[in-house]
Amino acid sequence: MLKEFIEKFAFAIECDAATLDVDTEFKALEQWDSLNALSVIATTDADFGVALSGNDIESARTIGDLWKLVCAKSGKS
Amino acid sequence: MNHLAGIAIRAVATAVPTAISRTRDYEYLSANDRQRLQAATGIAARRISPAEQCASDLCAVAAERVIDHLGWERDSIGAVVLITQTADQPIPATAIVLQHKLGLPKNCVAFDVNLGCSSYPFGLAILGAMMSSLGIGRALLLMGDVSSRVCAVHDKSAWPLFGDAGSATALELSADASPMHFDLMSDGSGKNAIIVPSGGLASRRPLTGERIVEEAGADGISRRSDNLVLRGTDVFSFAITKVPPSVDRVVKAAGKTPAEVDFLILHQANKMINDTIAKKTGFPVGKALSTLADYGNTSSASIPLTFCAHAELFAQDRHVVVCGFGVGLSWGSTAFSLRGGAILPVVESDRVY
Repeated sequence: MLKEFIEKFAFAIECDAATLDVDTEFKALEQWDSLNALSVIATTDADFGVALSGNDIESARTIGDLWKLVCAKSGKS
Repeated sequence: MNHLAGIAIRAVATAVPTAISRTRDYEYLSANDRQRLQAATGIAARRISPAEQCASDLCAVAAERVIDHLGWERDSIGAVVLITQTADQPIPATAIVLQHKLGLPKNCVAFDVNLGCSSYPFGLAILGAMMSSLGIGRALLLMGDVSSRVCAVHDKSAWPLFGDAGSATALELSADASPMHFDLMSDGSGKNAIIVPSGGLASRRPLTGERIVEEAGADGISRRSDNLVLRGTDVFSFAITKVPPSVDRVVKAAGKTPAEVDFLILHQANKMINDTIAKKTGFPVGKALSTLADYGNTSSASIPLTFCAHAELFAQDRHVVVCGFGVGLSWGSTAFSLRGGAILPVVESDRVY
């Protein structure tokens, strides 16, 4: 599931999934901006049934942090 | 919530200013980011009012248009309600000023309502219920905003999204009008998602004795404290999760399915949001009318503008569902029938009353 999340995340921000991993600090990525944030929220909602908030995006540092939030919000661990 | 009976929508008109601002020309984004913004939001152009034009002027143009179209005597209009985020001044209410400017009689109820993107369903409920219970035969529901006036031009998170427009919806008591169904929601915990921080009393920032300066916000964008702040991620998350159930509820309350509804008219926020809501509520994208490309987000006027920009589709009777959502947070939906010919095409005007 984490692998799928990283793939969806990469698709959302239009980059190669191979360049991302659980420890990637996504807000430090060169292409990261507010439009990408919307795209990630949309993808997470559509593919994982979880609505991340603006605060979730702000509080998460790595892709792994975001995945933990998705798991917590979807009731999975 | 009860349905509302006996209120007919006789005419809807919308006015926009003539000046066009295009996403591809927005100087505060790179050429690549302009393209990305346009692809994600669906917004290619917006109309921007001249400096001296207020939302009330655009609404007055639209009001004159419905009055003329219907041939209503001005003395027959018993109420005028303006819903706006950009009133002429803090006090008095702009609707009262419009009562005079439009030559409406003094026995005309006039007041403003402070709502934005959710205006249309709330406005129909407020004015329709008042007409019905007080026996007011004819009324004007005005909705419009000049959001360009409150956004900082260099604020790339807000300026390229908003356009200016004003609208008028003419309502009449009519025993044979079909019922309107409503779903109206509020959540003040989201007040900071879209906010103009100063100018009211809670800001503790008096307008006098203080130099107006720009300060950088958490997002690094400099704004005056009387500029609009839009937290796009919070609005997006709210819109794609809280809004679809409201549409579902009102479709169900009307005893219909999406297949039996001719058109879904959503507040025009952005393409990603609107496509997601249409998909989640089971409406094909073709039934969800859009004016994002030409007009952007016109706040309180977005739903009537979207009707008027597709006037040709409303030559015959139509069942519609409309849904507004945004600042507040406030959101709501209405299901109703429109008689053919009630929707008038968009007019352009830079007139100042």
